Amino acid sequence: MSHTPDTRSQRLYWPVQMQRNRGVRGLFVVVAAFLALYVYLFPGLFSIGGVSKFAQSWFPLALVSMSQAILMLTGGISLSIGATVSLGAVIAATTMTGPLGVVGGIAAVAVAGLGIGAISGAIVVRLKLPAIVVTLAASFIIGGAALLILPRPGGAIPIWFSDLLAGNTPAALILLIVTALLWKLYLATPLGLSLYASGENPVGAYRGGVPVDRSLIAAYAISGLLAAAAGLFVAAQTGSGDPVIGTAFTLNSIAAAVLGGVGFLGGRGTMRGAIAGSLLLSVMINVMFFLGFPPVAQYVAQGLIIIGAVALPEITGRRGPR
Amino acid sequence: MSATESETTRFPPRRISALLRNRAFLTFIIVALVWVVAGFAKPGFGSFGHLRYLLELAAVIGLVAIGQTFVVIAGGIDLSVGAIVTVSAVGVPLVADLGDPTGTVPVLIVLAAASGIGLLNGLGVAYLRVHPMIMTLAMATFLQGVLILVAGGSAVSAQNPLLHWFGNARPIGIPAGVYLWVVVSAITLVVLHATPFGARIFAIGANPLATALSGVNTRTTTMAVYAIGGLTAGLAGVLLLGMNGQGYVGIGDPYLLASIAAVVLGGTSILGGSGTYAGTIPGAILLVTITALITVVNASPGWRSILFGSLILALLLFSGRESRGR
Repeated sequence: MSHTPDTRSQRLYWPVQMQRNRGVRGLFVVVAAFLALYVYLFPGLFSIGGVSKFAQSWFPLALVSMSQAILMLTGGISLSIGATVSLGAVIAATTMTGPLGVVGGIAAVAVAGLGIGAISGAIVVRLKLPAIVVTLAASFIIGGAALLILPRPGGAIPIWFSDLLAGNTPAALILLIVTALLWKLYLATPLGLSLYASGENPVGAYRGGVPVDRSLIAAYAISGLLAAAAGLFVAAQTGSGDPVIGTAFTLNSIAAAVLGGVGFLGGRGTMRGAIAGSLLLSVMINVMFFLGFPPVAQYVAQGLIIIGAVALPEITGRRGPR
Repeated sequence: MSATESETTRFPPRRISALLRNRAFLTFIIVALVWVVAGFAKPGFGSFGHLRYLLELAAVIGLVAIGQTFVVIAGGIDLSVGAIVTVSAVGVPLVADLGDPTGTVPVLIVLAAASGIGLLNGLGVAYLRVHPMIMTLAMATFLQGVLILVAGGSAVSAQNPLLHWFGNARPIGIPAGVYLWVVVSAITLVVLHATPFGARIFAIGANPLATALSGVNTRTTTMAVYAIGGLTAGLAGVLLLGMNGQGYVGIGDPYLLASIAAVVLGGTSILGGSGTYAGTIPGAILLVTITALITVVNASPGWRSILFGSLILALLLFSGRESRGR
């Protein structure tokens, strides 16, 4: 063993990453094809403005997909993501022009997201209730809270802040890259490391000394934070708050995560897959828009593509060992 | 198979304690308690007319929840029931009446279509091995698009004598919809607990691999389960159309979450393999009762939603807990 541990781990890093990419390689090809089609239809994408606009339409979906993927990696699922997005949006729209200011507003959204996530996580983990029903009930509570804060669409976001996030700047793209890097960083921490272990085999992980409960609750808290942050961005995009704006995000987040190869049983899948899944969904919507599909035909196509993308490995992989 | 069956159908020798641990029975007790307390606290709640109205509303949720119970016991979940309810509520007026004075033919066509949608779900789950959540979710998205394309945004009203009768008639003072629910529930309970098919559903939910290895055709059974899910959602849709008089896109949306909540409140494990429709019945009534009570409180929509969610969460602590101890 002439290698120092450092170079050896470096030599292992890329093969391991390649192996983890294996399941999502097909997805990457599909995403690339759709992106190429999109660029062909809309050459204006290759400009600061084009990239910015596209990133802004993609960013909230990418955030909620990450939010869902974290929970699916733990073996859970969240049906309250849409409600949390709405809550984040109304908190942002009611606090930012008030005495708290923009910084206070961001802090309030972050605290709300982390708190909601941590409480749901604690209920799921400590009281041993199934995640799907807890988050279903939580979606009513969170949605109700959003309605209490802002009964009808309104509130405001400072114009300079809206311009900064959703104006003619690539801020959304930069934020997305930063978020992805932070996720890498989190996976390197002890809590992040235990995430996959706790999702794949909680009992084994517990016996191996992994703080299973803590890592699960942390995952729920991060999931809540990401969903609330998506709400903040949506509020900045629209310039106001709407207590039901997030509803569609719950199902879209599940679709994106599953397209990205994240499994329902925990421990299977990668965040890059989930992000690619959300990219596929949002490029698809943009491409169909440019092809002149009526908005409703997009639903039909979306349903077909989701089933197709998920079923394709099964159809092509028939001959392989089962 | 027989072990699962006896566990859910026959009471063990110690009757009283077994009865107290029976989740279906417990949920019935909770409903009865809530009705008695609410009846004393709020005059008018306990009146026959009001309770009858509650049962009528519960019938729709209960019908949707039949299919959901089957699917959940078989280890899946059906997120397309809301869309199927809408399809059938909007579909009946769209199907030409074909010169049939009773209006039976359009209803049968729509019910067949709903079962067909369910069968497609089952096909995807059983043969393409798409996860149930994704298959039914994609189906719901697909149906939503088709519905808006076909029906547009406006409400369509039905001139269907059969549905009008089911939605409004009251033989011996009880709504026809409730009779329908009672009959279909009885069939459901028999199928689930007293037929080989029912036993296979429990077996698939408990351990699909072992079930397949012991010679059960799991694919056919899975497809049948999802077809039942489509059929009962369709039944709920036509009943809803009869009660409402008109159908519109989105009419079925509330029934998705309601059906899951009713199933879970009734003590059926969301993980599959155990449960009974006998628990889902009081679960559906309980949901409607909670909604009615919250309306009585006269709070703002936000507080109503918070109350509803908190109550469901609190009830889950009673009925949803041991589902992991399997």
